[in-house]
Amino acid sequence: MAAEGLMISRVALLRLAIIASTLLFWEALAESGLLFRDVVPSLFKIAHALGHLGANADFYANLSATAVEVGVSLAIGGSVGVAVGLLLGGSRLMGRAFEPYIHYLGPTPKIIFFPVMIMWFGIGPGSKIAMGAISCFFPVALITAAGMRQIDQVLIRVGRSFRASTWQMVTKIYFPALRHPLLNGLRLGFGVSVIGVLLAETKLSNRGLGFMVMQSYSQFDMPGMYALLLVVFSLAIMVNSLVSQLGGLEVPNH
Amino acid sequence: MATPVLRVENIVKRFVTGSASITAVDHVSFTVAQGEVLAIIGPSGCGKSTLFNVIGGLAGSDEGRVIVEGRTLSGPDPAIGMVFQEESTFPWRTVADNVAFPLEVAGVARTERLKRVHHYLELVGLKGFEQHHPAQLSGGMRQRVAIARTLAFGPKVLLMDEPFAALDEQTRLLLGDKVLQIQQALAQTTLLITHSIAEAVQLSDRVLVMTYRPGRVKRIVDIKLPRPRTAEIIGSKDFGLYVAEIWNDLRDEASLGMKDAEAKLPQAE
Repeated sequence: MAAEGLMISRVALLRLAIIASTLLFWEALAESGLLFRDVVPSLFKIAHALGHLGANADFYANLSATAVEVGVSLAIGGSVGVAVGLLLGGSRLMGRAFEPYIHYLGPTPKIIFFPVMIMWFGIGPGSKIAMGAISCFFPVALITAAGMRQIDQVLIRVGRSFRASTWQMVTKIYFPALRHPLLNGLRLGFGVSVIGVLLAETKLSNRGLGFMVMQSYSQFDMPGMYALLLVVFSLAIMVNSLVSQLGGLEVPNH
Repeated sequence: MATPVLRVENIVKRFVTGSASITAVDHVSFTVAQGEVLAIIGPSGCGKSTLFNVIGGLAGSDEGRVIVEGRTLSGPDPAIGMVFQEESTFPWRTVADNVAFPLEVAGVARTERLKRVHHYLELVGLKGFEQHHPAQLSGGMRQRVAIARTLAFGPKVLLMDEPFAALDEQTRLLLGDKVLQIQQALAQTTLLITHSIAEAVQLSDRVLVMTYRPGRVKRIVDIKLPRPRTAEIIGSKDFGLYVAEIWNDLRDEASLGMKDAEAKLPQAE
C-alpha cells in the first residue's frame, strides 16, 4: 500500500514537473526575443488576454453560437449514427452490404465536404452543424454496430421467448446492453463534432469560437488567440470528464 | 395419467449445410401430463437443444406440431416458459426488475407486477435480494432469478434446457431440491432437457432417452420414486437402479457420439 501511495505521488510530481517545465520553457522562449514579436507571447500577456476575454460580451455570444452548433450536430449525427449502427449491427445482410463504405469513409477528412455543405446550407450555422454531424455520424455508427454484435445472444433469446415487440427489444434489451458502447460513441462523437464545427468556423463564418480564433490571428493578436485556444481545450476536457463520470455511475457488471 | 398439457407431434428438423442435409431431430413425439416432469436425456449432438428451441418457438420445424391444451403453437407463446442454460439474467436490472421483465413486456399493471415478483422471489428463496444486481449473486442464485422470471410469466409448461449446466455439483444438487420443491408447490408441468442421468432421475416422473443423430425417441422410462422427493433420494437403491438402467440405454448412443467426435480429430501419422 505504502509503495503504491509513493508511486501515485511520484506520478503526480512528474506530471506537475512536465507542466512546470513546459511553462518555464515557453516563458523563457518568449522573453528570449529569438522569435518575431508575439509568436510566442509571454504567459502574463496570455493571462491578461484571458481576463480580457472574460469581460468581452462578444466572446460569450460566440461561445454560445459554437456550443449550440456542437450540441445540435451531436444530436443529429449521434441519433442518425445510433439508428444506422443498430441496423447494421442487427442485420448481417445490411452490415455486410453497407459497413465497408462507412468503414472507409470514416477516416477521410470531412473538411473536404465543407464547400458542398456551404452550397447546401449556406455560410451560417447550418453548414457548421452539418460538418459536426457528418464527423460525429461515422464513429457513432461504427461503435454502435460493433456493440450490437457483442450483445450476449441469450439475452435476445430471452426477450424473444417472452414475446417482446421490436420496440421493447430496442428499449429494454438493446439500449441497456449497449450502454457502454453508446457512452463511448457519445464521447468520441462529441470530440469529432467539436473538431468539425471549429474547423468549419475557421474556414468560412462570421461567428463562433473558430471565427474568433481566426480573427485574432488575422489581427496578429497572438495572446488573444492563445487565450481562446486555452478556453477551447478546457471546455473539451470538462465535457469529456463529464461524459466519463456518466459512465462511472454504472451498476456493477458481471 | 391425466390429460396431456403438452403434446409434441412428429417433430422433424433438418439442417442444410452446403449440399448435404442433416436430420437433427427425426419424428419425435411425446406428451407431458398436467403436473408431470418429463426429462429428455441424450448424448451431445442428439438434437436436444434443437428440440428445446423448436418447442419454445424460437426455431421452426420442418414437420410436426407443438400443441398445448389443444392449441397448436406458432412461435414463442405465453403457454411455454423457457429457462436457458447460459447465464441469462439482465446484468443492468436488479433481481426484482429481472423477474418483472416478462410482466412489463406483457403490460401487467405495476401493483400486480410487484405482487407477483414478490411471490416468485419468495418461492425460489431469494427474498431480501430484490435490490441486488446479478453481479452481486452466486451462479446458483442467478439461475434461480432466471427460473423465477420465467415462472412469473405464468407458463403452462416450464421448459428448461440444462438449467444447471454452468453450476458445480453441490450447487446443482441443492438447486435440484429447490426446483423439486417449486415444481411440487405449483404442480408445474415441466419439460427438462439434460445430459445428466442423475439429474433426470432425481427430478422427473419419466425420462425420455434420445438416440444419437438423428435424434429419435429411443425409450421412455417411468421413474417410480416416491414424491415429494429431496436430493436424499440419490442415496437410495432404486435411484441407483434407474441410473444404471438409463445408462444402459444411453451407452451405445454416447459411444456413437464419441466415435464421431474422434473421427473429426486430425490423426497423427
